[in-house]
Amino acid sequence: MTAPAQGGADLAVAPEAWLKENPTLSNRQVFRHALARFADDDTRVVLLEADLAGGGDAFEARHPDRFLNLGICEATMIDAACGMAAAGQVVFAHTFAAFGAMRACEQVRLGMAYGRANVKLVCDYGGLSGAFFGPTHHAIEDLAILRSMPGMTVVSPADALETVQAIRALVDFEGPVYLRLGRNRVSRLDLPRPDFQIGRAVCLREGDDVGLVAHGEVGVCVAMEAATLLEAQGVSARVLNMHTLKPLDEAALQETVERTQLLFTVEEHSIVGGLGGAVCESVCALGLGARVVRVGIQDRYDSTAGSHEELLKRHGIDGASLAEQILHALPRPRRAALKPALRRG
Amino acid sequence: MAQVPLEERARRIRRTIVRLAATSTGCHLGGSLSVVDILVALLGRVMKVDPSAPRAEVRDHLILSKGHAAAGLYAALAEFGFIDVEELVRGYNAEGSHLTGHVSAKVPGVDFPTGSLGHGLGLGVGLALGHRMRQRPNRVYVVCGDGEMGEGSNWEALQIAAHHRLQNLTVIVDRNGGQNDGPTESILSQKALGERLRAFGLQTAEVDGHDLNALCTALEVPGDGPRALVANTQKGAGVPMLRGKGPHYAVFSADHLKRALASLGEVTP
Repeated sequence: MTAPAQGGADLAVAPEAWLKENPTLSNRQVFRHALARFADDDTRVVLLEADLAGGGDAFEARHPDRFLNLGICEATMIDAACGMAAAGQVVFAHTFAAFGAMRACEQVRLGMAYGRANVKLVCDYGGLSGAFFGPTHHAIEDLAILRSMPGMTVVSPADALETVQAIRALVDFEGPVYLRLGRNRVSRLDLPRPDFQIGRAVCLREGDDVGLVAHGEVGVCVAMEAATLLEAQGVSARVLNMHTLKPLDEAALQETVERTQLLFTVEEHSIVGGLGGAVCESVCALGLGARVVRVGIQDRYDSTAGSHEELLKRHGIDGASLAEQILHALPRPRRAALKPALRRG
Repeated sequence: MAQVPLEERARRIRRTIVRLAATSTGCHLGGSLSVVDILVALLGRVMKVDPSAPRAEVRDHLILSKGHAAAGLYAALAEFGFIDVEELVRGYNAEGSHLTGHVSAKVPGVDFPTGSLGHGLGLGVGLALGHRMRQRPNRVYVVCGDGEMGEGSNWEALQIAAHHRLQNLTVIVDRNGGQNDGPTESILSQKALGERLRAFGLQTAEVDGHDLNALCTALEVPGDGPRALVANTQKGAGVPMLRGKGPHYAVFSADHLKRALASLGEVTP
């Protein structure tokens, strides 16, 4: 793991400066540094691993007495996490998303959700980020599963800064949380942001043709890329960073529907039951009457090898593909108004 | 109350259990009766608990991992003053009550909901680790069924308990030889359970699970790591009419109840 710059900015006080000093850390590495730093100020914080800490973990180095690698037993790691939480610890348990959400699913359901345990299940390898490792290491169903559990909070940070902010929020948040990260992406959205609040979506960009509701480090980046490409073609997109999938910020969703002609959801997850599913449920239940196009993995497993970025492209989860899909889906009068040279389809 | 002999407490708990079997839903009778003496030894002698402060920070913990024996646990909690026995009989499985047929954590004296098998040991391991980290004297007692040992998660938890030398954890297996679909030995053998627990690194003893003195003695043996006790029991223990057949689940008629209570020393009008 890349070591952080020594003697520089304090991650807790000046996260933006700290991230500038550590420009190559992926979000999942940032999680480890952030938790290590916040644990300085809260002795209740514990980190559990099931043999996927990766070696040289920042938390282990800083708090060896509060780091426990329980071995390859994800299910029991979650039960043990709930037991430790009952003893008063704030327990972060980390593994890959496929194992945390699915192998340990019943432990998550009974121990964490039903038991209202103060456990934060942090999973990387979300979506297709496990790429060439194959579908055993992909997680395209985790958000749907976790979102269906009563009392569960589900968060996927959009970039490194939001990862720091989310970890900060999770340390203080009482109750079970699923925090989902990717694998290798180094994402730094160079945007001013309001304070992070669990359950409060953030509008990253105003626009009135299309509303892009995005979740997670891939979803939000792809939505922002598409918005930039569309702007060049005279189409304006509103980008809503729905970092908290549950509870869903329905007020922000409604505002986006009211200000735009068409909704797109963008996520690195099956289009069934995750962000796309959640947005469709709310749009219908609230009677908002908007058309929703769900961009994500189209209800299939992908067993072909390749890089993460190429895999995403194959599923249409990249800025150019998304911009293309949006142009096709725009209402006919709006499309007709675009300059003919730029018109597609 | 403090002077009541443990044998008498066990008998009273069994009376409550058969009353629960005679409610409209019935109960997991065989396994509730088999675990009674284990619970009496724990709650009545070995554990440091206070029914007036069931959530105190410093105390011992009982996790009934075989949560289908909820009737047995609730009846024991009533005997030791955590809940009211008449409220239990009225509320058991009743509309709107928290006294559900598998163990509810909303009941005073219960830390975790159990009944989906193979969770109690993992929860107990975490609780023991947490208290050790916090340097508290709390001890954790997990009671599993022998059929339940078929769940692989138990063996994950035992490995962790042994690896981390959890001196504050005791596992008791209620070896009643039966499970939902029949005899454990004919479904998934748990032969050599004691040897297996020993091989996993637990200081293990085997006792007659209906001998209260033997149970208390075995549970109070000190150790420098996690301990296990295989308690050989019988489904339906203590109720002569059930001898040799100890049903996994039963709904008692009024006549059943009368006969069962009479055999437990209660004269009914």
